[in-house]
Amino acid sequence: MPRYAMVIDQRRCVGCMACIVACKNENAVPAEHYRTRVVEVVEGEFPNLRMELRSELCNHCDNPPCVYNCPTGASYKSKDGTVQVDKKRCVGCKACIAACPYDARYITPEGIADKCTFCEHRVREGKLPACVATCIGSSRIFGNLDDPNSTVSRILRETSASVLLEKAGTNPRVFYVRKLGKAE
Amino acid sequence: MEITITGMNAITHPHLDIWNWMVATYLFLGGVAAGLLIMSAVANLRNVGSEGKDHPSCVRAALLAPFVLMVGMFFIFLDLENKLHSFWFFLSFKPASPMSWGSWGLALIVPISMLYGLSVITEDHKSWLRFEFLKRLSDRLNPYVRPLAMINFGLGIFLGIYTGILLSVFVARPLWNSSLLPILFLASAASTGAALTVLIAGKKSAKLYFTKIDIGLIALEIVLILLFFAGHITSTEPHRESIMPFFSFTSEYFMFVAAWILLALLFPMALVLALLEVRESEGEELSSSALLRMKLSAVLVLTGAFIVRIALVYAGQLSKLT
Repeated sequence: MPRYAMVIDQRRCVGCMACIVACKNENAVPAEHYRTRVVEVVEGEFPNLRMELRSELCNHCDNPPCVYNCPTGASYKSKDGTVQVDKKRCVGCKACIAACPYDARYITPEGIADKCTFCEHRVREGKLPACVATCIGSSRIFGNLDDPNSTVSRILRETSASVLLEKAGTNPRVFYVRKLGKAE
Repeated sequence: MEITITGMNAITHPHLDIWNWMVATYLFLGGVAAGLLIMSAVANLRNVGSEGKDHPSCVRAALLAPFVLMVGMFFIFLDLENKLHSFWFFLSFKPASPMSWGSWGLALIVPISMLYGLSVITEDHKSWLRFEFLKRLSDRLNPYVRPLAMINFGLGIFLGIYTGILLSVFVARPLWNSSLLPILFLASAASTGAALTVLIAGKKSAKLYFTKIDIGLIALEIVLILLFFAGHITSTEPHRESIMPFFSFTSEYFMFVAAWILLALLFPMALVLALLEVRESEGEELSSSALLRMKLSAVLVLTGAFIVRIALVYAGQLSKLT
């Protein structure tokens, strides 16, 4: 069974936001809800400014607080290591939203907790997640961590990729190759 | 620093809108029910008789607890976004989820506290029971009032602590993520239980007995609130930041500053009033002014406990690890 992960190479992000549009379209994300977002952080004083573009989504943590706090088992870790939601079991108690340090979840108008699935329906068919497939700068890279020849494995070997909120101890599966120094 | 988030709105910032006043009300009423169970158990086990047993107050507190809890449960049910799926709470048990422990705990506490309520009813008050089978059940349970009181004392402690653990396990919300929170909620729960028992007790001696208990609990609650904030101030940056809404004199955080000021007034006032009652109590009957002070002190305690819950529930959602 593969262990899926995503690398976001911030050096290659042009801030076109196509990932957001592709995600909403692919997953029929309800109006005013988002499974992924792009954070632009501008630091410093003019003219000495720097800007960071950071795509954020569910981190599919190996130590997922949303799964531990779910009282019904609706949030679960699937065999490929991604965190998924079983819509039939979700009661909409919002414990997972409170537990997620990345604020990756929301409640749909139907009352179900929802978030990025790494487009598991596409991955099952051998396709890439919609945001990855549409990324014009190849900033989003998706692959199998257990395959040493996969692009994600190679990038993680060759760069000093980091994760968000490392000290939270969630062991995320979304890695960031930063353009600048520490972003958090 | 300027931050722009594409795709940002009230919904892409879900941590701002997780739980609302309904959850705060549930935590408050759960605490009150826990306190009633504890105080009623104390009254029965310690046999308040020597200091003027007021059996009706023990009965009322024990009978009131499950109903207060059920009203609280109604509010938490209202907060569920997918109510039709709520049966899943009882088709699964997740040991790592406090909410799972809570749902099973509540399923246990409600019937056991009802049995306890029935066991406390003496012959004089059996007329309260409208149905014959309830009278028969009450007769059967009467001999087991002490073991049931012990069990309900334990369940009251569990319920009081649980309401705090429910929030304190969320590492992602630094304001809640404190080991002091469950203890604070337990002390607050016991205090509200004592306050409500003061309100429903008939005899002066029983009122005084629970007022004395409440004095200690109010003092403990004040100390725990101060320690809770002190713990956050001396902790990591996200923890320090998480209590800032309580000290930011801006319109955005007005409700938190108001809560802080109200608490700083209510609890000491309740404490002083309670101390006055105890010091000035003489004779068999309470004067109308003493009775008013007693009741006012109890109402202040209940109001303060609700403010604690609602302020912490809302402020906790503003806190983040980043």
